[in-house]
Amino acid sequence: MRLASKFILTVAGILSVTLALNAWFFLRSQNHLLEQQLNERGRVLGHLIALISPEAILGLDFLTLNAYAREVSRQRDVVYGVIVDNDEQPLTSYVNGDDPHIRSSLGVDGPTPDHLPPPRLQTLIRELAALPDVIPIEFPIAHDGRPLGRLQVGISRAELAMQAREQLLQQFGIYAAIILFLSVAIYLVFRYSVMRPVQRLIEVSRDVGRGEFTLVPVTSGDELGRLGETFNAMTLEIQREQAKLHHQANYDSLTAQPNRMLAVERLQQEIRSAHRQQQRFALMFIDLDDFKIVNDTMGHAAGDRLLAHVSAHIRARLRDEDTLARLGGDEFLVLLPRLGQANDARDVADRLLAAVAEPVTLDGREVVVHCSIGIALYPDDGETVEALMANADNAMYQAKRPGRAPICFFTAEMNAQVHERLRLEQDLNKVIARGELQLEFQPIFRAADGAYVGAEVLLRWWHPERGFISPATFIPLAESTGQIVAIGEWVLREAGRQLRCWLDAGLAPGYLAVNLSRVQLREDLELLIREVLDTNELPPQALELEITENILLDDHQQINAVLGRLHAQGLSFSLDDFGTGYSSLSYLRRFSFDTLKIDRSFVAPLCDDAEAAALVRAIVAMAHSLALKVIAEGVETRAQMEFLRDLHCDYLQGYLLSHPLDAEHFTTFLTRCARDSLPRDSVPTFVQ
Amino acid sequence: MTRGIKGARDARQTLADTRERSSAGTALAGRRHVMLGLLATLGLSLAERSIPAALASSAAPLVMGIFPRRQATLTTELYAPLAAYLGRELGREVQLVTAKDFDAFWDGVEQRRFDIVHYNQFHYVRSADKYRVIAHNEEFGTGTVAGALYVRKDSGINAIAQLRGRKIVFGGGTDAMMSYILPSYLLLEAGLKPGDYETVFSKNPPNSLISLYHGQADASGAGDILIDLPVVRNAMDTSTVTHLGMTERVLHLPWAVRKDMPQALAARIQALLVELPAREEGRAILARAEMTGFGEARDADYDPHRRIIRKVMPSIDLPR
Repeated sequence: MRLASKFILTVAGILSVTLALNAWFFLRSQNHLLEQQLNERGRVLGHLIALISPEAILGLDFLTLNAYAREVSRQRDVVYGVIVDNDEQPLTSYVNGDDPHIRSSLGVDGPTPDHLPPPRLQTLIRELAALPDVIPIEFPIAHDGRPLGRLQVGISRAELAMQAREQLLQQFGIYAAIILFLSVAIYLVFRYSVMRPVQRLIEVSRDVGRGEFTLVPVTSGDELGRLGETFNAMTLEIQREQAKLHHQANYDSLTAQPNRMLAVERLQQEIRSAHRQQQRFALMFIDLDDFKIVNDTMGHAAGDRLLAHVSAHIRARLRDEDTLARLGGDEFLVLLPRLGQANDARDVADRLLAAVAEPVTLDGREVVVHCSIGIALYPDDGETVEALMANADNAMYQAKRPGRAPICFFTAEMNAQVHERLRLEQDLNKVIARGELQLEFQPIFRAADGAYVGAEVLLRWWHPERGFISPATFIPLAESTGQIVAIGEWVLREAGRQLRCWLDAGLAPGYLAVNLSRVQLREDLELLIREVLDTNELPPQALELEITENILLDDHQQINAVLGRLHAQGLSFSLDDFGTGYSSLSYLRRFSFDTLKIDRSFVAPLCDDAEAAALVRAIVAMAHSLALKVIAEGVETRAQMEFLRDLHCDYLQGYLLSHPLDAEHFTTFLTRCARDSLPRDSVPTFVQ
Repeated sequence: MTRGIKGARDARQTLADTRERSSAGTALAGRRHVMLGLLATLGLSLAERSIPAALASSAAPLVMGIFPRRQATLTTELYAPLAAYLGRELGREVQLVTAKDFDAFWDGVEQRRFDIVHYNQFHYVRSADKYRVIAHNEEFGTGTVAGALYVRKDSGINAIAQLRGRKIVFGGGTDAMMSYILPSYLLLEAGLKPGDYETVFSKNPPNSLISLYHGQADASGAGDILIDLPVVRNAMDTSTVTHLGMTERVLHLPWAVRKDMPQALAARIQALLVELPAREEGRAILARAEMTGFGEARDADYDPHRRIIRKVMPSIDLPR
């Protein structure tokens, strides 16, 4: 129901109740007054008759008494008038046969007698006096203080009731007219002074809901006027807030440049515009190289300031109509509309490379950062937002690859690589179920005497169609898609199972070193390792977990906690590929490693490069000073082996000593080790 | 109450007997009773002053006195046509007068202020030395009346002797010929003297019967035709009462002239009255006066009345 209808119904209801009550009180008092008048008239008449009756009573003048009774009975509103003696015996016999009460009481349809015998009259009077619409009144008749009888008069309320009914009808009509008039008047006033402003408020509210910020015209100073003013203030506030939200939603707070959302929107607009005008434009993805190092070494606040500077430098090299957006982290997007030639984009990219490389002073230190730029052209490299952004991203990814130029245009080959990557992702989902994964084991030997101590577990994927796929290809892919968790679990379970097999076969497999991805370092890793050890009845020393420096970069408390608990349970850890990453010595202090593995890139030039030799020597010395064992990877020549022995490197691993072996060949290797009684004194005692 | 009623009766000194013809008049007067009371009083006062004036000279109009059987105004209405008729026929104005009450009227009789007078039989007998009867009323076609005693049918009284010790209501007063003297005579004939029963008087004869109807007495004394009068029939259920006994029939109300009136004039007046039924105009005059005719009357015709009155009122001295 509408507000106006509710209001008018309420008003009409209140008016009706008020007027009904008023009418009731009025009619009640009117009735009371009329009844009083009736009584008074009856009393006057009665007193008069009572005054003149004694003579007739004393003179037994029944004709006169009857005449009195007739005069009384024929008065308006009088039903009966009877004079009775002190014994209640009627002294008159007259009744008004025309009176409806009497006719009704006598039950006659035809002519009614004017006189009734005293007993019948006495009964009739009693009946009439008992009627609800008859007011019985009695007046004593006395002479010289001696009672002679009474005049009994019955006054009818019928006329009174009829008057009341007529009055009620009149009142009803008048009040109905008043209610109608007032309701219409109030409705009109309400509609003009309330509903119209409210309606305007509703319309403006709808406008605001649609995002059109119009203001309510305020024409009065009453509550509705103040409501309008408040509403306008609210609208302006919403407008400001929405602008603020819009800015927050579409602009990067750090660089004050459009964010990804607005970038996509503008790209969409540009696609439409370029499509209409048959123009070409370029989309660039810019990613800062090694920006994480700045964050890690100088703190995030410095990193943020660097991003702001870089953003400003890039913006300064662009036209007004160009769009610069920060997509997130250290990644930027540049949209270059109305591009003439592809080379124009390259020129801009060159300028941007230079702009990014401009030195920035942070906390008193001069920092230089470089970037990689991927470029996709419309319409050559895509006609949709998704295609263009994916292709620019691919191009940027290519530009990031080692040895590639920092500016890379998207090519069809990149697309093929992307498709290849997608195929691999799909195949990886099925790799475990199909049993396409296989473990290989590369033995690790003690440098001092060449004794076998354990093996590093290496994962191999034999694709049914494409054959061997390098771990360098599919491991990063599995890490990026999260599939590495399932694969890593499979590796751990398979390594444990294999260890159990060899132990059951009476062989001495030593320990198995399993590489862990940072993605695997979750709470459930601990449970998984516990389950593998328990299931295969292996001691914690049977497994060594290899992690790379990159994992430690995150310096995450959760990772620390997981590694700490595993180490406390007896599992040993080795730091893999040491020297290839950021090689912060603080990592060695922060984590309790048992072994440090020197990357093959240091071992390879060991005999030819004095600096490399010095570096390896320093690493070994440092590790030993930290009570860490050192494993040298990639030992491929005898000279390298001898050199490492001379450096007192603890363990050696490489093709010189043994290629990675599948389980079968490794079993043969272990069997031969057992038969040839290779030095075993360093073999862990857990071998049973 | 009886005493009270009786006291009031004594105070009034009414000539109730002459009111037996008042049925129709009372019916009309009843409605006007209260309303015209003051007017009647005023009329009677004027009449009192007019009677001496009428007798002041022989050339003066003839004065016709009518006893106050009815209200003065009604009396004037009823008898004005008759007065006009007589005046026209006699060539002499006939002035109609009445009195406010019986005392005043009787004073007029005693003083012979009326040339022509109409009253009841008891009045005539008492004034026979001053007036000479010339005619009598005929009402309802008869010129005689009888006294009667009435009782309620459910009273168990069927003999006059049973009225001993009972209350008897009479109409008017002791002057009433039909409603007191004749019923008293009937009671005497039955062996009941006035002390053998309780006597009460009603305002007038009809009321005596109505009083009986209302249980105010055990018997009612009144004229025999009272039960048939409309005024009575309208006021009560007459089937509930019955005659207990009736007297002999006697001549009706008399019309008399002064004894010193010339005989020729008296005869002329008598003739004019008796001839009325024979003429169209006369019948209208009679109807207006609620009569059916006039009969010739002589003084001797009222001897039965004298006999009865002497029986009832032994001590009364009646002139001749």
